[in-house]
Formats: sequence, C-alpha cells, structure tokens
Amino acid sequence: MILKVSGFFLRLSLLVLVSGCTSVQPWERGTLAKPHMALQPFPSQTALREHIYGSRESASGSTASAGGGGCGCY
Amino acid sequence: MLKSLALMVRRLAAGDAAPRSASALHRFMGRQSPAPPLIPPTASESPALGALRAAALALPGLMAQSPEALAAPGDIVDLQYGSYKQTPWQLLGGLKSQYNPLQVDNIEANGVLTFSDRWKFGFNYAQDTWSGATPVSSAPYAFGGNNPSAAGASPLVRGNGTILYDKKLTAFRLDPNTANYVPDNRLVQTVASASPEIRNQGNFRLGYEWDEAAVNLGGGVSQEPDYNSAFGSLNGRMDFNQKLTSVNLGLNYANSDINALINPLYSPYVDQSYYAEKGQIDTIPNASGAPGRYLTGNRQDWTSHLSVAQVINKDLLLESGIGFTRSTGYLGNPYKAVDMVFVDTQGTPVPPVDGSTLPPLYAPQVQAVVERRPEERNQGMWDMRFVQFVEPMDASVHGGYRFFIDDWGITAHTFDIDWVQPVESWTVTPRFRYYSQNGANFYQPYFLFQGKAPQGPDGRFNLAGVPLDAYSSDYRLSAYGALSGGITVARPIGKAMAFEAGFEYYAHAGDLRLGGAGQGSWSNFDYYQFNAAVKVDLSAISTAKLSEPEDHAGHHHHSGDHRQQHLGMDAPSGILFNHMLADEGDTMVGVRYAYALQQGGMRHGTGSATDQQIVAQGCGPSLKCTFTPKEMDMGMVMVDLMYAPTDWLTLMLMPQFMSMDMHLRRLDGSPDPGGGGHAAHGANPYHATGGVGDIFMGSLFKLYEMEGHKLHFTLGFTAPTGSVNQRVDGNTEFEHYGMQLGTGTWNIWPSLTYNGYAGDFNWGGQVSTNAPLQNHNDSGFAFGTLFQTTAWGGVQIQDWLSGSVRALYTFQDSISGNYPEPFVPSGPMDTPQSYGGQYLDIGIGLNASVPSGDFEGNHFGIEWLQPAYNDYNGYQLERTGTLWASWALSF
Repeated sequence: MILKVSGFFLRLSLLVLVSGCTSVQPWERGTLAKPHMALQPFPSQTALREHIYGSRESASGSTASAGGGGCGCY
Repeated sequence: MLKSLALMVRRLAAGDAAPRSASALHRFMGRQSPAPPLIPPTASESPALGALRAAALALPGLMAQSPEALAAPGDIVDLQYGSYKQTPWQLLGGLKSQYNPLQVDNIEANGVLTFSDRWKFGFNYAQDTWSGATPVSSAPYAFGGNNPSAAGASPLVRGNGTILYDKKLTAFRLDPNTANYVPDNRLVQTVASASPEIRNQGNFRLGYEWDEAAVNLGGGVSQEPDYNSAFGSLNGRMDFNQKLTSVNLGLNYANSDINALINPLYSPYVDQSYYAEKGQIDTIPNASGAPGRYLTGNRQDWTSHLSVAQVINKDLLLESGIGFTRSTGYLGNPYKAVDMVFVDTQGTPVPPVDGSTLPPLYAPQVQAVVERRPEERNQGMWDMRFVQFVEPMDASVHGGYRFFIDDWGITAHTFDIDWVQPVESWTVTPRFRYYSQNGANFYQPYFLFQGKAPQGPDGRFNLAGVPLDAYSSDYRLSAYGALSGGITVARPIGKAMAFEAGFEYYAHAGDLRLGGAGQGSWSNFDYYQFNAAVKVDLSAISTAKLSEPEDHAGHHHHSGDHRQQHLGMDAPSGILFNHMLADEGDTMVGVRYAYALQQGGMRHGTGSATDQQIVAQGCGPSLKCTFTPKEMDMGMVMVDLMYAPTDWLTLMLMPQFMSMDMHLRRLDGSPDPGGGGHAAHGANPYHATGGVGDIFMGSLFKLYEMEGHKLHFTLGFTAPTGSVNQRVDGNTEFEHYGMQLGTGTWNIWPSLTYNGYAGDFNWGGQVSTNAPLQNHNDSGFAFGTLFQTTAWGGVQIQDWLSGSVRALYTFQDSISGNYPEPFVPSGPMDTPQSYGGQYLDIGIGLNASVPSGDFEGNHFGIEWLQPAYNDYNGYQLERTGTLWASWALSF
C-alpha cells in the first residue's frame, strides 16, 4: 500500500516537474555548462566547511548522502 | 567527514550529467580550457560558443571514442589544506584559560579517475589534528570551576565551594573584595583541554555509469585513538527528460566504536555509575599513577537521502531533497560532564556574614556526572538549492535552504547564498550563511534541583535517584544561531592546474537564534577558517599531450619507462630532489609520504639502555628522568610542486605537513612525577601534534648531461613555517623537541645528485646537508645539522615496473640550546643531547609508471628503509624503519 502510494506520488511529482518546465535543448545548455553554474562549484572546500559545521552544530551532521567517520568530540 | 564523502559522491555522480560534467571540466580549467580534441577549438570562437560546444560534447552520444584514450572530463586529483582557529571562551572576572583556544589542522587528498570509459574510481584521504581548549561542562560563575585553586589547578567540575543559593534558587557568589556574598546568576563554560589528537580517514568509491544512470558503491574507515568508524554507502542516479531531470538516491551505514579516556584531571570527581552499570567503563590499572578510566560504546547510523535536480530553463537549475537518519547506541560525547546542583531550602542556612542584609543562603550539594543522551535519534531534513545565472555580470547566484528536525527536540534552519563572479581568469565568490537551532529537550547549562541530593544506602550520591533519563550541557545542543561569511578565490595555473583558497569567519551567539531568546552570551564564540587547494585536471593533461606538435610530442612519447629513466624518476621513493624536469614549460605535481616508526627498547650509543641508566643519566647530571618514550610515529606529507622555466633550471616548492604521536611509560625506579604534566595522563601518557611543517623552496640546476649520465645541483632553503611552540595539555609546558612541527629556524638545504642509466639498469648517488642558519629559534633551540649520503641501483622488471636497492648514511648533530626556564625535562625526549646520531639504512623499493593509456605519466614509488647500524646520541628509542610512498605526475 505504502509502496503504491509513494510510487504514485513519485510519478506525480515527476510529471509536474517534466510538464512544468519548458524544454531546454542540448544546444541551449551553454550557460548551464559554465563552471560557476555547477551545484557545488568548490566541492572539496565545501566538504571541509561542512565537516566543521558538523562538529559545531546539531543539525549539520545528517544531510550527507554518504556516511563518514569522525567524532568531532572536541 | 560525512559531507566530504557526500560531495565526492556528488562529484562522481556529476561526472556525466549534462549541465554538470562540462562544469567539472571547466571548473579546473577556467573558461579558456582546451576542449576535447575531436572538435578542435578555433581561434575566433566566442566564449559562449566554447561553452556550448563543451556542453554538447558532454552528452554521451556525442563523446565519441578517441583512438588514443583520454582521462575523462572530471578526472582530477586535488590536495587541500585547512586551518581552523577558535576565539577564547569568555570566563568572566578577568580569567584567562590556561589552555590555548581550539585549533584544528586538516590535510586532504582527493582523486577521481575513470577506467575503461564507464567505471569511475574515487578516493579520499584526510587527516585532522586538533588541540586546545574545550568546555567540559558549564556552571554559574559563582561556582568557580575555572578559578585556579591554591595548588594552581582549576577545580573544574567540582567548583571551589563558594556558591550559595537563596530560597528562590538565585545563585550567590563570594565577593573577595567585601568577603560577603552577592547575587550572581551569570554562567560560564568550564574549560579543559581537548586531548590533542590525530584523525585519519581513508575512503574509496567505485562507480559505474550508463548513458542516463549511475551507481556508486563506497566505503571507508576513520580512525582516532578514541573513535573508530567504518562506513559504507550505495548511491544511484537516474536521468530523465533528456537529462533535464535527475534523481539521486543514497543509502549509508556507519558503525563506530568509542573508547575514550575520561580526563584524569576530573575523572575522580565525575559520577560514571550509569555507564559503569551498563558495563561501559573499562578501568586500566596503572602501577605508578591513577588508573585510567575509559568510556566505551558503539553507535550505528543509517542515512538515506533522495533528491531531484531539475533544469528549469537555460539559466536556472533547481535541486530539492529529503533525508532521514536514524542513529542508535551510545550517542553521547564522552568528554562532556554536567553539574547537578541540589539546594535543600528546608535545611539550615549558612550563618550570615556579620551585618549582612542578605536573605538566608543555603550551601548546595554539587555532583558532576558524565552526560547522558537518549540512545536513539531520528532525524529528518528537507532542503532546496537553486543556481541562477546573472547574465549582465556573467555571474551565478547559488542559494539554499535546509530544514532539520529530530526527536531530541531540535529543529534547525540553514540559509546560504553565494555569488560566483568570474573576473578575468579568477573566480571570486563571496558567501554568507545563517544557521539557527532550538535546544534539545534534555539540554541545560547545568541542572538545578530544589531538595536533597538522592542518596544510596551507603550515604553517597545515588544517580539512579535523579528523575532524568537524559541530560547534557553540551553547548551544541543549546538554542543559538550562527552567522558566517567568507570569500573563495580560484584561478587556473598553467595547462592543467588550478589554485583555490577560501576564508570564513563564523560567529556563534545565543542572540542570533531565529526570533532571538537563545542561550545567553556566555557560550558565544567565533572562529575563523582558512583553506587552500591545488587541483590537477588529468583530462587536461591527456588533452594537452595529444595537442602537442608532432616533434615535441615525439619527445614525450618514448615508452613510459624510458621517459621516467631519462628524468631520473626511477630513483628510490625516499630520495628528495632526485630529478629535474626535462623540458622548458614542464610542470610536475607530486605527493611524497614518509612514515617513520620508533618502537621497542631504549638505546644508548650502539647498545641498549636500562631504565636505571636513563633515570640517572638521561636528563642531565642534576635531574632524574621520570618518563621514557615507548613508541613514536611520525607521518610527513610533502607536496612536490615543480616547474621548469628553462631546460637547465627547475623551480621547486615543497610544503610539508606533519603528524606525530608518542606513547610514554614510567621508568622503573623513577622519582614521583608530582601532580602536573604527564602524571595527568593517567595510565596512558599519550601525546600528539600535527599541522603545517616547514616549507621548502629551491632551484635545481643542470650541471652536466650526456647519454646515460646526468648531474644536477639543488640549492634550497626551508622557511620556519612549522610551529616550535607546541605544548603539552594546552600551554602548560613545551612538547618534546622531536614533537615540534618545524625547526623554527631558516635552514639551507643543498644537494648534489647523479643519475645514470643503461639499458634496463639505473643507478645514482646523492650527497645533501640540511643546516640551520640561526643559532636558535624562538623556543630557544636549533636542531643539529643533518648530513646524508646515499647510493642506489635499480633494474627494470617490467616495462612499467622497476626495483631498487640503496644504502643511506645519515649523520645528525644533537640539538643546540634548550627550552627556556621553567621547562623541566621529564625524560630523554626532553634532553637536547638525546637527539641525532649516525645511522646506516638499507632500502628496497619499487617504482611503477603508467606507460600509456588514460593515466600515462603517473608515477608511483614505494620504499622501505631498514636500519642496519645505529649509533645514537644520548638515550633514544630504537629506530624501527621508515616507509616512503610517492606519486608524481609531470606534464
């Protein structure tokens, strides 16, 4: 049941996303390909800062899409 | 470290998504980067057209296979250094903590490589070193936890017995000026020192990519003396709608073991009964000091994250995601205590000071307890990011919001915004971030109860009688906000490298909480953070090689081993300055790692030393030694950056990063060490230091060259960038000389190197000396002059692999000068005469170079140096050996 419902919502949200946007053709993606249009233009720097936030804040430790080690017990 | 892995995942995943892969390429190359060679750029091409072409090429269907394989776009190696420094805690009353503010150094190497078109391999290695002041609990200022007692030590969690309360539970402080009590409800952090520690993390990721999907499998370990963690992850991406939409799903698991020594400075005064009853306290007896008490535990974290990225139009990208994390097990911080204060207002008040008009005051019963958190935590989050192009400025705005909620009562909001502005070849990015959280429902600065403290049948404090099942005074669980801002600058260097640096200032304050009314200002602090990175774009190197003119390319396209030999790169891994660069304009990036281990017995001259000898003679004629090392590890990371402005000169810059740790033991028959210093380490005297070492700058000059023979001279200097002010336990006393991160002096470091080769054989020799140019450094001493000479021979085993054997003779003088008074040596490691000596080491090594294909020109070396003869100055720990490992890439 849950699977059915979540599957429905997934398809619905995809449908909304797909239909809600004008199509951007491959030859119109020059701007999006610029280095500073990346979601994370400076990934290793961002990672280092996030690691520090994670050791100073309660909420920062759980957004990662990957597990990692480190106590941050200082 | 959760995040860095996550971002690596994203970086891997980003490798072929249409809007992002070209970004990955360009990110390291700047906008003038050479494109993949199949559609060569034309001189008149506009930047917009170039970007368009790159975007088109990033679509898998258009990325036809080159006959000569290339490292794929997004294949990079980067090396990063980071430094974090916190401002001192406000202790009130003009008090200054005896401990230096918290400081963390971080070094990191990342790589992403593509194999056979669709397989991606990523790795990450990171090392953190930290030391300095950290709060152990918080309490009223009147409690006096930070005030030095008559003996000089801070009473920390015990307080100094001067706090009283009235019937309304207002705290009163003894005012030394009037000798009477004054109402004072102000709070302070009770500050102790974080045990100086080194954390090492290594992880990998293996990914497979289809045209419109990718799967990544990853895992790794993180190790600290008190915290070991192993983790794995599975991550998938699907693209839809001609890659305008991509969906990411990640699942992760981490399993961590905690084994933390409760700070012996306050361990006897902190109730550990809750954990003792659960079998989580290990007591390690110590014949000559207080037993070490370790808090042990295990935790497990499961994380899932689902996100959708959507191209909205040609200038706007959106991403949104939800995540859920479940953590179980021991989720506390073993170094945090809480003060429980019981005020029996039905009891007898203390007799008032003569003439006092104060209300009746009561002396509380104070008990410190190791903090306790729930053993389960469920965390949910929702986030959203956008990237919008700002055409008039050719800039982009990145913004994000994240909502967090958990079942500990914490909700948090994070907002961040960046403005990424290209300015000629630079990219300048100012950045702001705001964070706000509610406190956990079991957080209090300290726990105040009206009534008697619960007692057991033996009349002692009974923690089980306290009606709380979770309690913490960790300021990170309090209500506060944080505002930070910073700037990042980046620019490409040469053909395939980029430089990046960032700075951030961060202010944590109760008042900054969304809507105000957070924690009081007593827990406010600021920190600043700096980082710098060098990145190498492997795909650009392949591209550059292919685009070289035929005659030049011909020079480069000897078989790989020949090229290495001509350069002298087949010399054993542990030989510095072993080769020049062949051609004008060549660049080399490399990393060399040395690990030296000393372990086992103590030595004196060429023989062994007994404890009795060391006690009597190891600390000079008038002092007896108390401690001696039993193990010392030193890790050294050297980043080799070389550039050849002409073919007879190579310039070299070599930053060094150090990490060291030492285990000590009491010497048999030694005198009592007294109260401070190492005695405070309990059963396990352990020290660690780490951070930036001295930086080397030099020039290599070609002296002589003919077929089969090469001779070059290196003239270099080291600058005293490494600290020689490392202290044990904050700043109470100097670390041992050998545990300092640098020399503290300017040194000259010349060497003469000969490389020879014929057929499958190579050989060579080097003489070098490293001598201080100053008599002593700011800490009063100078390391002795080092002289080394080495000779080696090597043979080609395969066309990509060679082996080497060498002999190394080392002479080093003892230390001159010494730490200033009142420093008192506690063992031979604190004695200048017990440094240096004469050594002969035998080394065996392997060198591998990639002769062709995607990663042509990558060179790897490994060498083990085994001591064969040792003549130690004074009393020193036996040398076990040194391991060298190196990677280099020239282009």
